[in-house]
Amino acid sequence: MIKIQKKNFNLEKEINFIKKIHKNIGAVSTFIGYVRDINNNKKVTAINLEVYEEMAFKALGLISFKAKKKWNLIDTLVIHRYGKLKVNEKIVLVATFSKHRIDSMESCNYIMNYLKKDAPFWKKEYYKKNSSWI
Amino acid sequence: MKIKYFSWIKDITKKDNEEITNNKINDLKSLKKFLSKRYPNLHDHLIKDDILRIAINLEYISKNKKINSKDIIAIFPPVSGG
Repeated sequence: MIKIQKKNFNLEKEINFIKKIHKNIGAVSTFIGYVRDINNNKKVTAINLEVYEEMAFKALGLISFKAKKKWNLIDTLVIHRYGKLKVNEKIVLVATFSKHRIDSMESCNYIMNYLKKDAPFWKKEYYKKNSSWI
Repeated sequence: MKIKYFSWIKDITKKDNEEITNNKINDLKSLKKFLSKRYPNLHDHLIKDDILRIAINLEYISKNKKINSKDIIAIFPPVSGG
């Protein structure tokens, strides 16, 4: 499942929703990305995330599809937020669901690595007096 | 064809999309040439550095490719999500 949304998400609720669908899940691995307060030695107050939504759905769908081919996965969940986010807010969730831990752990890392490389999102960082695209 | 701009590219073009009708543009190479004339500040990024990424109809394209009037072309810097 792919979700691209402005609103925040609740990890427990998202995981439980998928666990209720598949009773054979024995392992869930998650990665959550947050907005940091310091980046490249600059004090960050907030970020704005821009997305090319149609392409992001396609790119994230393809990455999840490849992960499902490579590992024995029951389901995958990627939630990526866009819009203005303050320090400490959640940006992204990748969760992978499998029977055993190795499949979920390795595929979670794989999806996140390809998300960083291919998913069309861009960050603009806001500092006290100015801002810059990174 | 429709051209979409993202991130700091749209700070240069001052717009996030535009429709271009020009029958001399039939591949990515000619589009890049056209855009670098229209937006001189894009020239180095499009032609010299070659750092920008281009997608045609939601697919990354790294080599020159034929394009037609119905294509949607997106031009953007390396992604920075996650």
